Amino acid sequence: MTSLRRPAARRGGPLGGEGRWALLFLAPTILGLTVLSAGPILATLGISLTKWDLLRPPQFVGFDNFVQLAHDDRFLKALRNTIFYTVVSVPLGLTVSLGLALALNQTIRGIAWIRTAYFLPVVTSTIAIALVWQWIYAPDAGLLNQVLGLVGIPGRKWLIDPTLAMPSIVIMSVWQGLGTNIIIFLAGLQAIPSELLDAASVDGAGRWARFRNVVLPLLTPSMFFTGVLSLIGSFQVFDQIYVLSRPRPTDATITVVYFIYENGFKFFKMGYASAASWILFIIVAVFTAVYFRSQGRWVHYQ
Amino acid sequence: MTTNRIIRGGMRHRILALAGAAALLAAACGGGTASPTPGATAAPPSAAGPSAAPVSSPDVGYTGPEATITYSIWGDPAEIKSQQAVVDAFHAVNPKITVKVTVSDWDTYWDKLQTGIAGGDAPDVFAMDGPLYPDYQSRDVLLDLKPYIDRTGYDLGQLADEAVADFTTADGQFGLPRDLNIVVLYYNKAMFDAAGVAYPDDTWDWAKLVEVGKQLTIDTNGDGKTDQWGFYTETSDMENYWSSLVWQNGGDIIAPDRKSTLLGSDAAVGGLQFLQDLIWKEKVMPEPAAFAEIGDAFEQGKAAMEANGSWLVPTHLAAGINLGIAPLPKGPAGRATSINPTGAVVYKGSKSPDAAWEFVKYLASPAAQTRLMELKASLPANKEVLAGPYSASFDGAKVLADAIAYAHIKPSFRGYNDFTTALQTELDANVFNEPSKTARQAIDDVLAALNGILAGQ
Repeated sequence: MTSLRRPAARRGGPLGGEGRWALLFLAPTILGLTVLSAGPILATLGISLTKWDLLRPPQFVGFDNFVQLAHDDRFLKALRNTIFYTVVSVPLGLTVSLGLALALNQTIRGIAWIRTAYFLPVVTSTIAIALVWQWIYAPDAGLLNQVLGLVGIPGRKWLIDPTLAMPSIVIMSVWQGLGTNIIIFLAGLQAIPSELLDAASVDGAGRWARFRNVVLPLLTPSMFFTGVLSLIGSFQVFDQIYVLSRPRPTDATITVVYFIYENGFKFFKMGYASAASWILFIIVAVFTAVYFRSQGRWVHYQ
Repeated sequence: MTTNRIIRGGMRHRILALAGAAALLAAACGGGTASPTPGATAAPPSAAGPSAAPVSSPDVGYTGPEATITYSIWGDPAEIKSQQAVVDAFHAVNPKITVKVTVSDWDTYWDKLQTGIAGGDAPDVFAMDGPLYPDYQSRDVLLDLKPYIDRTGYDLGQLADEAVADFTTADGQFGLPRDLNIVVLYYNKAMFDAAGVAYPDDTWDWAKLVEVGKQLTIDTNGDGKTDQWGFYTETSDMENYWSSLVWQNGGDIIAPDRKSTLLGSDAAVGGLQFLQDLIWKEKVMPEPAAFAEIGDAFEQGKAAMEANGSWLVPTHLAAGINLGIAPLPKGPAGRATSINPTGAVVYKGSKSPDAAWEFVKYLASPAAQTRLMELKASLPANKEVLAGPYSASFDGAKVLADAIAYAHIKPSFRGYNDFTTALQTELDANVFNEPSKTARQAIDDVLAALNGILAGQ
């Protein structure tokens, strides 16, 4: 039982007892990640090398699933749609929410209510939101086409037209995600010391110069954080597609996660679905790694 | 695959409207205490069923230990209530068996079922959609009921033959039909009366449908946009209408060996083309996109006729439509419609197969079938109930029951979801939603992929 004494001996060390406490507090997360995430992720890797219908034992097929995916037009389309969705929705979402956060970072009456209003879609279920947007986008009686009709613009089939379907979903998703980004940006904005802005004013900086040279650089950590969340979330886009494009996505809106779901649970191809999810995993990992490496060039920590 | 289920799911919004039906159910429950013991094929009080002569049954009912079994179904609130009433009545006559019902929506149902089976924890008894049966049966997860049928002298002849056959495989009987879905022509009597047009009857053919469809397609306010459509159907699943059109034109969908599709024939393509023409050439039917997000045009009083399944009867009645029901119009090769049974199957890994069999048998019994019938959402699989109480249960029910005689079973084969997704994606995008291809061009473009899916099973 000598080990019991050791902490006492170490107490003076760099982290000392704090290290143990840190570990203790991290334990639930570490445990959860290992058991609930790392385990299943590794299992999918194994499953991706098999032909498995979920109902009978899997058969090992090597890299067949990956080879087949490379030639599957539907998968390639899902991949293109997902990348389009990410490349458009992430920058758009960040820009719009940054603008709104700046506008909301004021001390006017009722600002708390306005901020809450922007946050409402975040705490509303995607299913409910998607159903409402389904009515907005509906071809004949839809709100959007009705409004366009008032100003003489002919209505469009927003969710059916292959060129409009994906952008329509992007717009809905950006709107839905605004709240989260705005909250983070607002926190970032309010953490900027007013002395810095005052000093800049004294030095003769105008509104734009203060924004460009003080606010924006100090906001980059927030931008980096929201960016990485949006990036990973976008690659996993599913529920909007699932609801908005019922009964099935026309291939105009099929995304990788929908493809995975459909193959795994509808087509009895769990091995194939696992292979697709590994390709998605690798793509997300590469994008995220590149994004993290870019950090040094544009993110300024105080 | 899912369209009709979504429509059925849409009934959720009508729970209040269905309160009347619930009252009926309550009445049915009250009368159910005197139901006969399961397996004893005594005639129900109402009918002298000529076809089902009582067999001298060695069936003594359930003699095993006390058991609790699980029963999983998909469905909407009205169906859930009905099934729970059946389960309660079953427990009353089989006090040693307790049945726990779990309910999911259509999509979740199949996800849960597959993961449950993969984890070795599937429900003892579960509902099975006819077309998906081969995908499960061939993977060896269903219990063969043949030994139980033989042992108890159960008479399969008391159930609709086509429906029984749908759950029969060369090596056994892997389920009993629970109810039937069949496709007919609905019409809005008020709209026909207003236009002074005679109601549809069994003399109707495709040409007559187009002719009357045009008469009833009306721009009431003269703004150049159609306000009342002559006809409506759903295009995103073969069952709603187009499989019937293929058969009415002398074509077929799947080869008897289920290894290739027959959609490439001129007859099959002609059926699909007729549906495209109803929308884009004759313009008697709204383009599918117009109602995709807002639901059924007929139910909303925006169309005078609809070809669709029996599951819509309660929806249409609840919508207050003055509902008429007629057979589907005949095609060049005669009369045809689609029938699709839902069955009850037993999980092969069930710990209480005897109790599960007792329950499956009860679900097909006149007592349970009479209860199920009250919903009007499907036809009873039990012949006695079908010919007797069901046919008299509402105006037009007999048309639905009679349609079984000329119905084709909805195609049922391995790879069903994969096949229909590839097929409908092409048809929806290029034939029905937009007429960017003829039915012939679309089928030619997708044929190789379809045959690849079937051959790969």
